[in-house]
Amino acid sequence: MKEFMTGNHAVAHAVRLCRTPFIAAYPITPQTPIYEKLSEWEASGALNGVMMRTESEHSAMAACIAASLTGVRTFTATSSQGIALMHEMLHFAAGCRVPIVLVNVNRLLAAPWGFWADQLDSLSQRDTGWIQFYCENGQEALDTVIQAYRVAEEVYLPTMVSMEAFLVSHFMEVVDLPDQEEVDRFLPAMDLPHKFDVEKPGFYVPVVSPELYRKYKHMAQEAMASVEEVTRRVDREFREAFGRGYGVVEPVMTEDAEVVLVTAGSITSTARLVLKELRSQGKKVGLLKLRLFRPFPRKTVQEALRGKRKIAVIDRNIGLGGGGIFCQELRAALIHSPARPLILSFIAGVGGCDVSPETIERVALEAMKREEAIDDPLWMMEE
Amino acid sequence: MRNMEKGPFDPSFQGHAFLRPGHAACAGCGLAIGMRLVLEAMGPRTIAVIVPSCEGAIGGVYPHTAYGVTTIHSAFEIAAPTAAGIAHALKIRGITDVQAVAFAGDGGTFDIGLSALSGVAKNNEDILYVCLDNEAYMNTGIQVSSATPSYAWTGTTPRGNPRRKKNIMEIMAAHYNPYSATATIGFPKDLQRKIEKAKGIRGMKFIHMLVPCPTGWKTASNLSPELSILAVETNIFPLYEVEDGKRYEINHEPRRLPVEAYLLKQGRFRHLTRAEIAAIQQEADEGWERLRLLAGRKGG
Amino acid sequence: MTRAEWTNLEPVIPISYGSTEIVETGKWGYQKPEDVTFTAPCQEACPAGNPIARFLYQATQKRYEDALLSLLRENPFPGTCGRVCFHPCEGDCNRSHFDEPVSVNALERYVFDVTSRLSPRLDPIDHPNPQPVAVVGGGPCGLSAAYFLTLLGHRVTLFEATKDLGGMMRWGIPDYRLPKGVLRKEITRILALGIEVQRGVRVGKEISFRELENFKAVFLSPGAGLSRSLSLGEAKIHGIWKGLDFLQQIHSGDKVRLGKEIVVLGGGNTALDAARTARRFGSRVVVIYRRTKAEMPAFEEEIQGAEEEGIGFEFLLQPVKMELVGRRRIRLTFQRMKLGRRDQTGRRRAIPVEGSFVTREADGVVVAVGEDIDGSWIPPDLMEKGAIGVDAYLRTNRMPFFAGGDAVDQPRTVVTAIAAGKRGALSIDLYLRGLSPETVFPRIAVGRKGALSLEAYRVGIETGRFPERGEVVLHDRLHSLFFQLSKRIAPRRRRGEDALRGFREVRLGLSRKEAEVSAQRCLSCGTCNYCLNCYFFCPEGVIALDPVGEMKRVDLVHCKGCGTCAQSCPRSAIRMRENV
Repeated sequence: MKEFMTGNHAVAHAVRLCRTPFIAAYPITPQTPIYEKLSEWEASGALNGVMMRTESEHSAMAACIAASLTGVRTFTATSSQGIALMHEMLHFAAGCRVPIVLVNVNRLLAAPWGFWADQLDSLSQRDTGWIQFYCENGQEALDTVIQAYRVAEEVYLPTMVSMEAFLVSHFMEVVDLPDQEEVDRFLPAMDLPHKFDVEKPGFYVPVVSPELYRKYKHMAQEAMASVEEVTRRVDREFREAFGRGYGVVEPVMTEDAEVVLVTAGSITSTARLVLKELRSQGKKVGLLKLRLFRPFPRKTVQEALRGKRKIAVIDRNIGLGGGGIFCQELRAALIHSPARPLILSFIAGVGGCDVSPETIERVALEAMKREEAIDDPLWMMEE
Repeated sequence: MRNMEKGPFDPSFQGHAFLRPGHAACAGCGLAIGMRLVLEAMGPRTIAVIVPSCEGAIGGVYPHTAYGVTTIHSAFEIAAPTAAGIAHALKIRGITDVQAVAFAGDGGTFDIGLSALSGVAKNNEDILYVCLDNEAYMNTGIQVSSATPSYAWTGTTPRGNPRRKKNIMEIMAAHYNPYSATATIGFPKDLQRKIEKAKGIRGMKFIHMLVPCPTGWKTASNLSPELSILAVETNIFPLYEVEDGKRYEINHEPRRLPVEAYLLKQGRFRHLTRAEIAAIQQEADEGWERLRLLAGRKGG
Repeated sequence: MTRAEWTNLEPVIPISYGSTEIVETGKWGYQKPEDVTFTAPCQEACPAGNPIARFLYQATQKRYEDALLSLLRENPFPGTCGRVCFHPCEGDCNRSHFDEPVSVNALERYVFDVTSRLSPRLDPIDHPNPQPVAVVGGGPCGLSAAYFLTLLGHRVTLFEATKDLGGMMRWGIPDYRLPKGVLRKEITRILALGIEVQRGVRVGKEISFRELENFKAVFLSPGAGLSRSLSLGEAKIHGIWKGLDFLQQIHSGDKVRLGKEIVVLGGGNTALDAARTARRFGSRVVVIYRRTKAEMPAFEEEIQGAEEEGIGFEFLLQPVKMELVGRRRIRLTFQRMKLGRRDQTGRRRAIPVEGSFVTREADGVVVAVGEDIDGSWIPPDLMEKGAIGVDAYLRTNRMPFFAGGDAVDQPRTVVTAIAAGKRGALSIDLYLRGLSPETVFPRIAVGRKGALSLEAYRVGIETGRFPERGEVVLHDRLHSLFFQLSKRIAPRRRRGEDALRGFREVRLGLSRKEAEVSAQRCLSCGTCNYCLNCYFFCPEGVIALDPVGEMKRVDLVHCKGCGTCAQSCPRSAIRMRENV
């Protein structure tokens, strides 16, 4: 059923359709409409679940971990300062191997203050052991939340679905809401083999020896390594069931491209337009949308960019002292590539600055011009 | 005839099923006594949350544990919301005969965990929260907490604590939760009665339990129960219950021994001057008078 | 996947299922707890050595028949003592240092009263070589000696001069203090052990002293039954009775005609008994004593009872003349006295005030100024200053004659008489076995005040090893913080007019609830009473207790030796010992 709604509301619908009975959250702009919508449905009974209104995001994640370990499907949403506050518990969640789904609305981190789109908040959490997806629009966010539960509940790792503040969270678009029965067929009831069992009392997540810690981390890594393949499969099944699919990455016009732009999130939508324009000018530019960020889909990326000579990564984030994070990851993935591509790092949109078609065009032209490798990122600032 | 003998332990005595021997608490640990008394009263249909603290040390290293009930070793400051999450999930799954209990120390309750505790209390989540108060951060080697009493020595207040102990019961009363109570190991029947009572109440139940620590209080290892009784009998730690944040009931008429009887048995108070002892006596007397007044006001 | 498959999967997170018991924390400590038993001061104070902590523990468990049996093993007269004993146990009760003493006396009575329909079995020792032993005198001392000698396995013949057994308990103590039904029950129980009794047989009359030598041992306990005289010619005056004779006549049911005004001379229990008896016949009674109330040897309770019953007291008056005036009135002349220095009993002497006299008249007079021993039938070599001479083990100058009770120089109360009967029986048994009491008595002593334990003796004789005698534990060794302070329940009494209606018992026993509460007040000094403190307070949980089976175990593999159990035992029944 098609309806006109914001990205936030689309996500709320996904949570409801997944029959998630336990949500613990704390409000933060621009996530609040998700929280409020779910509260409204809780009060009316449409949610058929419980909202635990915690006093902080840190406690929200604690409650989600506990509820998940007790054997119920859980959800939370946050942004910026909130996800930063959760940081300790994000590690804990991954260590507990619980399939929590978290929607993060990408918003810049203080200081100084602001509310606009920037992906550093979720990217700062890249080593916490969470699976991470980046969404281009509200429809994709809705669909990815549903897929996320499938993936998480198969490999027992928590999953984060990110969408940008205001550009996706508050942007109204036509969204196709799946039917409850369709979702029920796609997403079976959740259960956790290692949930609490009072008949067999044990001490969960105790102190362990170094060797044992390594062993469990190794097990988690193996689970994480399987996610690239699992996501591909789940997305294929989703496409069969709902008619929409996104893949692990999405290559656009890359077959003959001399320069491939790499984007994540809403910049991708703008880049699609620029691509059309540049191609009409005869420029052989392609686009690779990164959807799955953790685990970094090395195999898929290596295959999609095989033989490509010039790659321009556009990051709506800056890891101080390191550079754009998507670019760092891409460079690491392609380090052994025999083609020895030139991978250029472009910083655009940090702090929520507008990434206009002109900016992306300038990125493409800059990439086409350059022949020398350069480590430092190039900042696309208005002159 | 009575006999004391070596031999394999008889598991038919219930208390030992809940906190097994062989754990790593210091000899004479009051906290171990407190936990066992609580778990014994809670019974096997319990999921317990414990945090990094002496409880964690007692919990043991994989694959052995001293806890005889299902337990999770959560992060430090989040005992309360962890237990609340469990309580919600049990209810969602339709399991009505298992209860969640959160154990935290004074650090995890008065300090780093205060915010999370308050969040759970204001929501009136259906958990039992037990604060095992040994009046300092003991697991990390005796550092001051906001539960440390006036003038006490700790590693981070080597000249004596310049601040007073926070009144956590008043903080909890300000949340109007259905049931809060003080308890201590020296009065085991009173303690277990309160746990039994809490089990029958739906909503947020809070127990503030004083548990002496021979290591941190610098006493001999055999004095924990005696010290906890002295704390009550000197009015330093009165035994009382609060319902809905307004109805106070005093559970034990104290002998009103002078505070010296309690203080001078502990190395952490050995440096006290006459004036400091007098100040502590005044604190105790004022606290008791205030409590009597509160208890006299029926219905708040 | 099925639940069974799931639970057998290796979980993806670490979950500990094993127990820390694998860690032998017992190796941490340098000391371990051990049981220790001390003697409670009440048990030391009781001349008969009543096992007070034991019987009170059994009472708290409502095992009243066991409690009775515990008492009967050391004292054949719990019902009597529970009524008439002056309870020195309560005087030494450790609890009196914290609040008020335990009601041991009332509880001893309660145990007897609730088990009155039961007849617990007492098993005499199977003696390899039982001997015929004679006991002369069927009062508390003689009956106790006969009882214990029978329990020790001997064949006892008891000679009693009067027609009924009981001695002072029957003839001296009135019904309102000791109902005859109680006494009858106790004597019946004693005789049921198989003691041959010959009533109405006086040595020197019905049998000769020489015939006693046919027995392998003889215990002389004839008591002190001769009322002392004032030597004022009172025997010739009608209406003047001697104390014991007066009581004996009343108790044997003889008709006694008392007048309206009775004077009782004396200050001891006999005087008080006579006064209160006369009062119950409706007479106005005055007790006149030559010293003051403070020097009166009578029990405090008796004096108080007498005052409440409207009996008058006059002090510092010594009778010097008695004469008949008219047909039935007696005129007494008294000299006033004053108090001087203290005598050897610690009481102040009475000194006559020169020339100061006072008279009064009465319808009857009872002279109760003390009792003497009738030594007319006793060979003079056995006598010493008017009493039978004995050593610390109740041996006379002539073996195998032993003696005890009021007939020897010892305090005159029921319980000291019972204690003497026990001491005599043990001394005789040792003599017959050829063993020396000098070496054995210290092994069976209860404290240092002379009480002895028959149970300890039995164990020693039967197993060859005497049980360890614990030292007495005083209040400063108790961990009193663990007690809840409480007032004792005072047993109710009939008072005044209510008490005077007939000879019903004045002291009313405890109710069931009162007895339960009172028994629980016993601190059980020095003996474990399964209060479960050590169980509750052990941080390791290594102490297991079984209150019903009376077993305690410590898991030494895990005990860290912190010493909390010893320090938290309110009654000091646990101590720490260094590892060997």
